Amino acid sequence: MSPTRPLILLPPSGKRQVTVMDFIYAQKLEEALDALRSQAGRAKVLAGGTDLMIQIARGEKQPQALIFIGQLKDDLATISLSQDGYLNIGALVTHRQICADRHIQANYPALATASASVGGWQTQSVGTLAGNICNASPAADTIPPLLVHEAVVTVQSAARGLRDVLLEHFITGRRQIAIENDEMVVGITLAPPPADTADAYLKVGRRKAMEVAIAGLAMRLTMAGPETVGELRVATCATGPVSRRASEVEALFSGQKLTNELVTQGASLLGRMIQPIDDTRASAEYRKLVIPKLFRGAVLECLAKLGIAISGLEKS
Amino acid sequence: MPEVIGRSVPRADGPGKVTGQTLYTADIEHKGMLHAAILRSPVPAGKIVRLNVDKARQMPGVKAVVTAADVPNVRAGWALFDTPMFARDEVLFEGEPIAAVAATTLAQSRAAVAAIELEIQEIPPVGDIDMALAAGARLIHPKLAQYGSVPGIVFNREGNVACKYAYEEPGVDEAFARADRIIEDTYDFGRQYQGYLEPKGTVVQYRDGRYTVQSGHQYVFNLRDRLAQFLQIKPSDVRVQGMAIGGGFGGKLDFGPEPYAAVLAKATGKPVKLIFSREEDLLAATVREGARVRVRSALDKDGNIIGREFFTDHDNGAYSGELILMAGLALMFCRGVYRTGPIRTQFRLIYTNTSPTGAYRGVSGVPMISAIECHMDHIARELGVDPRAYRLAHTLNNNEKLPNGQMLHDAAILMEAYAEIEKIAPWEEMKRTKKPLEGVAIGSTVWLTNPLPASATVKLNEDGSAHVLSGTCDIGTGAMAQGVVGIVAQTLGLDPANVHVVQPDTDVAAYDGGSQGSRTTRAVGRAAEHAAIEVRQKVLDAAAPLMQTEAARLTLSGGKIHDIEDPGKAIGLTDILMMGAFASGPIVGTGKHAEQPIPFDPGCAAGLAFPTLPTPTYHVHMAKVAVCPMTGNVEVKRYIVAQEVGKALNPQGISGQIQGGVAQGIGYALHEGLRVKDGRYMERSLEAYRLPLAVDIPEVEAIILEHPADEGPFGAKGTAEPPIVLAPAVIHNAIYDAIGVPLNSIPLTPENILEALERRKSA
Repeated sequence: MSPTRPLILLPPSGKRQVTVMDFIYAQKLEEALDALRSQAGRAKVLAGGTDLMIQIARGEKQPQALIFIGQLKDDLATISLSQDGYLNIGALVTHRQICADRHIQANYPALATASASVGGWQTQSVGTLAGNICNASPAADTIPPLLVHEAVVTVQSAARGLRDVLLEHFITGRRQIAIENDEMVVGITLAPPPADTADAYLKVGRRKAMEVAIAGLAMRLTMAGPETVGELRVATCATGPVSRRASEVEALFSGQKLTNELVTQGASLLGRMIQPIDDTRASAEYRKLVIPKLFRGAVLECLAKLGIAISGLEKS
Repeated sequence: MPEVIGRSVPRADGPGKVTGQTLYTADIEHKGMLHAAILRSPVPAGKIVRLNVDKARQMPGVKAVVTAADVPNVRAGWALFDTPMFARDEVLFEGEPIAAVAATTLAQSRAAVAAIELEIQEIPPVGDIDMALAAGARLIHPKLAQYGSVPGIVFNREGNVACKYAYEEPGVDEAFARADRIIEDTYDFGRQYQGYLEPKGTVVQYRDGRYTVQSGHQYVFNLRDRLAQFLQIKPSDVRVQGMAIGGGFGGKLDFGPEPYAAVLAKATGKPVKLIFSREEDLLAATVREGARVRVRSALDKDGNIIGREFFTDHDNGAYSGELILMAGLALMFCRGVYRTGPIRTQFRLIYTNTSPTGAYRGVSGVPMISAIECHMDHIARELGVDPRAYRLAHTLNNNEKLPNGQMLHDAAILMEAYAEIEKIAPWEEMKRTKKPLEGVAIGSTVWLTNPLPASATVKLNEDGSAHVLSGTCDIGTGAMAQGVVGIVAQTLGLDPANVHVVQPDTDVAAYDGGSQGSRTTRAVGRAAEHAAIEVRQKVLDAAAPLMQTEAARLTLSGGKIHDIEDPGKAIGLTDILMMGAFASGPIVGTGKHAEQPIPFDPGCAAGLAFPTLPTPTYHVHMAKVAVCPMTGNVEVKRYIVAQEVGKALNPQGISGQIQGGVAQGIGYALHEGLRVKDGRYMERSLEAYRLPLAVDIPEVEAIILEHPADEGPFGAKGTAEPPIVLAPAVIHNAIYDAIGVPLNSIPLTPENILEALERRKSA
């Protein structure tokens, strides 16, 4: 059995109750899964805790138990490459590990960029990619790049074993994910990108680090010829309740000659599609203004990475 | 023994702070100590219909619950006595204290606060200065006229205006009537939170009829006096012991948690600790005030400013602090450092149902100087002339007067500052090498050194080390740890490692004006220098009989007393202290400092708290920025400061202050928005309130100019406050240069800038 201790947290100012919960140290993956099953929805899985502990302290989440999986590094803290080029990122892989990984830097640089922009150094050192997904914040930096790479989330339960879900289906709403009470995320898988592909993640913040995205945009661009788009994928964050691919915009580009007019058209369609809100970080109006600019910026960045120059393509 | 003055000696308090050994208020533990929490108003304005603390008193661990009913029914204040300790019948701002609880644990006191039954009948708040000034506006303080105030200062108050000051020179209307061109601007300035690392906190004990207060505080005597006002006791019944302070920037000059902890300490007979949470600290901090400045200039056909109007309105919040003393700045800064012709100026400090505002580095001068400097760029652009050349043509020279009649004897230092910057960043080259959406700007100003008096005692220990006792702390500038230590070490020929400064204590030290307005190095330093000179004389007097010579022939250096006329003859300082002190008694010196009055025109400035700019210093700043067309974000590519300091006692310390002040100025210009909506802050945590990070701030290039002042210790003038005052305007003007559109507000958000770029595109 995993050792369990009571954890007592101070109430936030203005709140009466002191939070007391069980703190379960899982020594093996099976123990974590067993604990999840026996807690039947009363427990939360804790890895880096950079979101969860704040939410508990604010009284937004009140689990009766925390299952700490930080000990399961052997099983879950690795980044591995399969024979056929698929990349598996374990549930305990931190943002710092993502940024530092050569294979990710070379093949999914947008993901490395996004992980490098999550919070500050401390957050990146303990915060995990899986945690960023499970928190399902509308402003999560890593979700757009994972969406454009069609990431697959692997969840596991004691009762039913492993199950794969497309990230797009895994995130069902603002801070809502498609996971059963007895399941936990164990890994994220990315397919190898095709040839002539580049990606980009552009983030808007008011300062250069420690920012929750005001808006973010990830793009993956695959060229079919010198000026012809094979496939363009784009996803945004902090522009609506859920990060989503913009399939109507993507459809405009499929098999088309990449021209300034087409980029303008795509950018403005994307600007019309998003449904941002006013919040303390920025107005909806600003987000509507900035997203088309990010779109164009991402096209330019992808082309630059591919070493392609297209005449007539305006910078802004 | 190398010279100490002028050398970058590392600061004495550095290692303790870096390694975590330094004790702060939060580290204090006393036997039986209780933990306190405050119930604050959840609304900006309303009548207290019901307040019942019975249930809270019965909660586990609770030792005392106090409200307005348990404290003297008085109003207190720094200068105007308008502030109750607890809201009594009505609340005037969101966050106003209503009750305080002490319990065995913090969790218990917070739980008890949440159990207090409070019912408030909300009233629509007078949420901003426009609402407060509107005809028929509800009066926030209907009994304003009856409030007491400190003697000797005139506060013209009426309606929702806590303080109004107006003055005009003859000929303003005539100047506008004959003007070739009139240029007018209105600038809006947001609030700025001091954002110190250490939230406010205190530990108070009540014993033998006296209160002992331990707080990281900038101005222990002011805190003592405020407690005495609130508690209706003698100031000497309060002992304030200053703790190491985790930053203040003007935010820790007045009372914070101390009166509440004091009342609870007396009620329970136990030591009481009260530390604000960050959210609470932000809500109740006396932040830099929001302001609106309207400036209007009459120009002749040659572009000379022949008349000027300058109206500056400042948001006081619900109660008054230090800002009510700042009216005179509108007189001193309405002209900037430029010739303007006759001026008409007005300052108003306006009550609103918002959290009270107060001092933040560059108190009230930041919006005023920013407005002038932004306006100067606007004038130059309207005239089609270069903003730097326009400034140079109209900058005050030596022996020209400010509107208060004060003579600036050495204003030509400004020209020297421009020339020094020109050497490392030639203006024409800066302009020529700009890329699209890059901009450059330059600006200049005068600033003051706070003139409050100081005292210091230097005691020489038997081992040849010295302790310096004073009533002020090292706020973090190094003014004590480097400045005062260096002054005493140099005067006594000691190694700076053997000179120790003692935390302030109102029971031990004589009155001191606190760590504010760049005064510590100058005022406490001067007092300490006098004290050290007295110590040195006493040492030489004690040595003379032992060396069988006259004291006049002796000098003290390198821990030895030397005979000037017989260089081989010397005696160790410790020998004197061991032997001589038996005959002479222990060696202690005391010193004091008070600024000499500056002649001014009493016709305009009489009755002002600051009728003059004491110890003027001169400043020129230059910035280069790049605007991102995609996001509207601004990157500061280069920032240069040329600053007059009198004498650089410790160049590294000064560079650090310049870097820090500019960082806060850039933060104010670009990152830090503390917006008020319906009387409430929109930014309520450091997640929402964006302080700039190290990665957002360039390394500031600092040029230190030295013109030693007669009165300062080794010629030093105030240094640490002013690096902030020009930065917001210079950043604004550089953006103006980059995008060609003036924005007329600070902070400048990416939203403002992107929207301006769109406007420019469609125009």
